[in-house]
Amino acid sequence: MIYSISGTLLLINYLITIFVSIIVALFLRLPLLPEKPRRFSWTKSAIFPTTIIAMGLLAFCFSINFYYLYDGKLLAIIMGIIAAIFVKYFFKYVFPDSPSVKGDIDE
Amino acid sequence: MNEIIGVILAAIISWLNFVIVDTYFSLPEEPGVKGADLVGRSIKDRGGDLSGGFFQGNILCSPDASAGTLLSSIGFLVLGINGGILAGFLVYIGNRLCADPGYAGTCGALTMTVILYICTKFFGFTAEMFIVGMVIAIFTIQGISHPYSSKLLGSIAAKFNRSAKLE
Repeated sequence: MIYSISGTLLLINYLITIFVSIIVALFLRLPLLPEKPRRFSWTKSAIFPTTIIAMGLLAFCFSINFYYLYDGKLLAIIMGIIAAIFVKYFFKYVFPDSPSVKGDIDE
Repeated sequence: MNEIIGVILAAIISWLNFVIVDTYFSLPEEPGVKGADLVGRSIKDRGGDLSGGFFQGNILCSPDASAGTLLSSIGFLVLGINGGILAGFLVYIGNRLCADPGYAGTCGALTMTVILYICTKFFGFTAEMFIVGMVIAIFTIQGISHPYSSKLLGSIAAKFNRSAKLE
């Protein structure tokens, strides 16, 4: 597979976006991890789904060969900030809420 | 690498990846939606295991690690590492729209992207082998015999301490 930037730079870009999104999410007072038991938790946190959304947006930009300045590093920082703000303020308008009562499955 | 051997090895790797990730994130423990509940109880009525039935119902009703593994293989074929990560993001969106927190699907897609990167770079696999292998792996779970595969999945769930608590 041919990339416009090297594999190492790609890895660095993803690490930058993960790091920035976690820092900004913590700054916006999201919890670092969901509460226990984590595998059933619907809480939005800094690790999940903020980093996933940041990496997904960045992967979308890279896959259409849009790298912007400094081989994608600036884009990585911008996407991390956008992902954290999205999860904190706009998440509830896009995705449906959790099923309200535990055990009540109606889909 | 020989194509046939590669497909067989890829099927084994994909099978282990999605079964371990799905079991760890407790798909056998409870049905996420009503369809999964119906599938699980139907498989139990036909002589299968309830935990394995819930597992099969859950991977049928929402995109979990099985879908993540398949989609990240396809994304890796088309776009490389970016495609695998993009597949994880899309699986997450699909999970949230299917009333599922989305841990299993996203983690399955991301672990598969890492495995694909290592296997294609160092061991001579290609992404096509993993697409075919994943279809074969899903076929062994959903296609051959529901009672036997659900018993196998139930015994794996018991090892992970993730058996169904509902009756």
